[in-house]
Amino acid sequence: MEDSVLNSNSNSQSNNRQTVPFNDAKIIIGLEVHVQLDTDSKLFCGCSTRFGEAANSQTCVVCTGMPGALPVINQRALELSIRTGLSLNCRIARSTKWDRKNYFYPDLPKGYQISQFDQPICGPGHLDIQTTEASGQPRRIRIERAHLEEDAGKSIHDESNDRQSSKIDLNRTGTPLLEIVTYPDIRTAAEAKAFLSELKLILNYIDVSDCNMQQGNLRCDANVNLHIPLRGQQIATPIVEIKNLNSFRAVERSITFEAQRQFEGWQENGVTIADAPKQTRGWNDHTQMTTLQREKEDSADYRYFPDPDLIAVKIEETQIKQIRSQLVQLPAILRELLVKEYNLKPDDAAVIVSQGRGVVDYFLTVADGCENSRVANNWIGQEVLRHLNESNQTIQQYPVSHQQFTELLKLVIAGTLDQTRGKEVLNAMVEHSISSEEAIKQLGIKSVDNSELVTLCETLMDENQNVVEQIRSGNEKAIGMLIGKARKKNPNANPGLVKAMLSKMITG
Amino acid sequence: MTLSALNADVIVDQLNAGDLTATDCVQHFLDRIQTHNADLNAFISVSDTALEQAETIDKRRKAGESLGCLAGLPVAVKDGICVSGQPTTAGSKMLENFSAPYDATIVERLKSAGAIVIGKTNMDEFAMGSSTENSYFGSTTNPWATDRVPGGSSGGSAACVAGRLAPVAIGSDTGGSIRQPASFCGITGLKPTYGRVSRYGLIAFASSLDQIGPMTRTAKESALLMSVIAGFDPRDSTSSKEHVSDALTSLETPLKGIRIGVCRDHLHEGLHWEVKTKINDAISVFKQLGANIEEIELPHSNSAVAAYYIIAPCEASSNLARYDGVRYSFRAQANDLEEMYRNTRGQGFGDEVKQRIILGTYALSSGYYEAYYLKASKVRRLIKQDYDEAFQKVDLILGPTTPTPAFKLGQHTQDPLAMYLADIFTVSANLAGIPAMSVPVEPSSTGLPIGLQLQGRAFEENTLLRAAHQFQNETHWHMTSPAEPWRTQS
Amino acid sequence: MPDTPEQPIVNQVARLARIHLDEQQLKSSGEKLEQILGFVSQLEQIELPKDVIPFFGAIESVNAIRDDQLQTSVPREKILDNAPESDGEFYLVPPVFKPTDS
Ligand SMILES: [Mg+2]
Ligand SMILES: [Zn+2]
Repeated sequence: MEDSVLNSNSNSQSNNRQTVPFNDAKIIIGLEVHVQLDTDSKLFCGCSTRFGEAANSQTCVVCTGMPGALPVINQRALELSIRTGLSLNCRIARSTKWDRKNYFYPDLPKGYQISQFDQPICGPGHLDIQTTEASGQPRRIRIERAHLEEDAGKSIHDESNDRQSSKIDLNRTGTPLLEIVTYPDIRTAAEAKAFLSELKLILNYIDVSDCNMQQGNLRCDANVNLHIPLRGQQIATPIVEIKNLNSFRAVERSITFEAQRQFEGWQENGVTIADAPKQTRGWNDHTQMTTLQREKEDSADYRYFPDPDLIAVKIEETQIKQIRSQLVQLPAILRELLVKEYNLKPDDAAVIVSQGRGVVDYFLTVADGCENSRVANNWIGQEVLRHLNESNQTIQQYPVSHQQFTELLKLVIAGTLDQTRGKEVLNAMVEHSISSEEAIKQLGIKSVDNSELVTLCETLMDENQNVVEQIRSGNEKAIGMLIGKARKKNPNANPGLVKAMLSKMITG
Repeated sequence: MTLSALNADVIVDQLNAGDLTATDCVQHFLDRIQTHNADLNAFISVSDTALEQAETIDKRRKAGESLGCLAGLPVAVKDGICVSGQPTTAGSKMLENFSAPYDATIVERLKSAGAIVIGKTNMDEFAMGSSTENSYFGSTTNPWATDRVPGGSSGGSAACVAGRLAPVAIGSDTGGSIRQPASFCGITGLKPTYGRVSRYGLIAFASSLDQIGPMTRTAKESALLMSVIAGFDPRDSTSSKEHVSDALTSLETPLKGIRIGVCRDHLHEGLHWEVKTKINDAISVFKQLGANIEEIELPHSNSAVAAYYIIAPCEASSNLARYDGVRYSFRAQANDLEEMYRNTRGQGFGDEVKQRIILGTYALSSGYYEAYYLKASKVRRLIKQDYDEAFQKVDLILGPTTPTPAFKLGQHTQDPLAMYLADIFTVSANLAGIPAMSVPVEPSSTGLPIGLQLQGRAFEENTLLRAAHQFQNETHWHMTSPAEPWRTQS
Repeated sequence: MPDTPEQPIVNQVARLARIHLDEQQLKSSGEKLEQILGFVSQLEQIELPKDVIPFFGAIESVNAIRDDQLQTSVPREKILDNAPESDGEFYLVPPVFKPTDS
């Protein structure tokens, strides 16, 4: 529960204001996230949603708002919205309708955006996020709603141009967006980032969006203000909506900046939520500051009303059930599975799960196959992920199949291959797309039998009398030197076995 | 008998029989447009490919190809409906240079039935008006009296059919824009049930009220056109999947026993005495045809105009936001974007359109939405419920289409309310979404046409057409044409 | 010139609707707006049953939905053909703010 909020602003408080430490202020954050749904065609017409095509090459009479053209809703956009809603524990509307949000902008062809005002397709829900809090408890961020709407086009303000005209590209116009709105439940910049990361991961898992932030497939606005305790009451600073947040880092930094700015502003002038309307500020990545956006006096009056060109969408219980039955396991469930059933540390589980369903499946198959989840985690978490990262590949493109990987790990676990040789083998497998067997052959790895090992150790002791003496006089670490030399003489010799045999022969 | 005197169904028969070529037919009407359009100003543009299309049809017919049911028939289309590659202006400076990049669904259907769009007819700008005086391209005049208005907004379509510049025409009706000009020009006009005819390609005025329909001399011709243009269109979300049965086959089914409701209130207040007399005469004709006349009540119909003049402007204010000078419309000179918007819309729209956008914007703006738009939409529900109840008792509702015959040019231009009240009997059908039509009855003593309005249950156009057709079997008012040259009333 | 009661509102609404009106037009528009609002105020008199559901559209069926299928877009030349100003690739519009105040 929030404390009661005091909205007054009297000068006598000015002195008190200076004494409040910043750390006492509570940051109140709500997010509005626009997600581009992964459909082939646009929300209301058959034009392609593909990114990066020649300007104005993907438009038609509907999405350019030609006189007389009419919209028809895309089935898949509805389906993906419901899938997202179910994954965010939202109530799915049984009946949803379309409204017009009226405003003028050159990349908004009809002079209104078709959106959903009072009957969004997804109602209240929630998303639990991991936090760094000591309790280790997840934090529940409530979701207010998620509604479908059409995207606008792109305006390019070309200042190099003498005439200073703006260029308009309508390829993106009409692309389906799901706008997910949270309650102001987020309390830190890090939590905001954690929320977005988890959301992005879920959307990836459920195949709703590729969430490419550079391409604008995931866009975020943050509503931020402070609740500051003063003489037993809470003072609220005016709410600021930060726009244009197109990276996680921008979200984190802009919130941190804005909290500080609002705090200092309040200390200076004491202006509270009651004194000032909601403000829109833009995040500037170069200056790392938010700046006030120029606003038209009437910009807030969107004159929403039901779109008479569209009729209501009724969503049947059976349809929701069907979509629910096709839902994949979500990241949170998989993390729990990896910790509980596969004995991974929570951080390790998080790393695997964060890589997407493909890596999780790879891990599960390998761990089951080699019957050692810790080794599977070590090898996949380090070797596989490093390779995917460096080569910018997906797990589907990884040259080593899970069967071959399992075979390799079995040899490692059995001690047939030591870590180092194992990694050499893996590298060969990756490089030449060959099996572990072939790699071992190619690297000339042979198993070394006991008599060979004895001969090797005897030779080493003969050639390194002084080292043997050192060991005998108590410097056990010196044995490492001998193992290094053993490796040079016979790369197939297992260092562990060499070490055991040497110490037995030297110190007996 | 000259070609202009023939009805569309007869023309089609002659074309099919080889007694007439499409080329001769199209040429005849092009000649009439050439000669008479200067007097009527019924057309904004004339097709430059009509003859070519006619020649193609003649060739295909000669080659024995099977052709559509309207093959070779010239049709005039209201200029608020998109015809690919043709100017489509909606009567506005805004779209003076707009060439439609696509065909409206109904145009596509007409073309595939072999009809030839001969030209685009004049209209009140964006269909806002009841006199066709609000056209950027000048007023259309009424062929029965050239100092009078043809009605509106489909005044060009009405005048060109009455003046025989085209055998049949297509109009659109948002609050009476087919029926009122049909009434003023002495022709037959049908506004179908909302959703019966696709709106795809109709330049929107008020989307929840707009409907395309035929404007013809006879009910039979309207039935013929409906058989082509009616039916579900997947491109229009508001179009209905309701089955369309052929109107032509049921035209002669006797009216005996049909229950026709008359709202006595509509035959009193503010009604021109001659309109009242002629409507009563028409009621007698229906009685002779075996109809039972019953009194009904439509208690909220007197609020219809007020509800309409909130709802229609609200929708229009949003529908017309796209005319911003960016993509296809007129653009005014300006230094920056905001100035471009304001100057473009200030100069590109006529006064009536600007007035309605202002009214609609006001009524939707924050703080007023509930009092105006929401309240009007609730009253709209009551109006619909009145009809639902009435149609429990009767099959059709009969009354005047308009309170007076055609008024004089300029008579109401300074008084929007007087103009709006010309729609008093027609707007209810649009608000309720039901079909309605206007049929000529005996003209006034000064020779001005008077229209009878029939309203029916949703998707029962065929009952309207049947009643109108049989009324026309008994009367000849629909077949009289104004004497040429068009006269000016003294 | 005395303001009609509705004139300041007309000014504001005309701005919202992006329509330039000169002084004369503002005045006459204000008068007409007042007249029409006076006429439609009769709606206030109508008593509504409590549970009346507004009727927004003339068709009350549901679910006009299309499959997610690509359709050929309109060629750019054709789409840009009606543009007041374009460079063959983009629509061109005046800058958002006057060049002088940038
Ligand atoms: Mg939005
Ligand atoms: Zn499109």
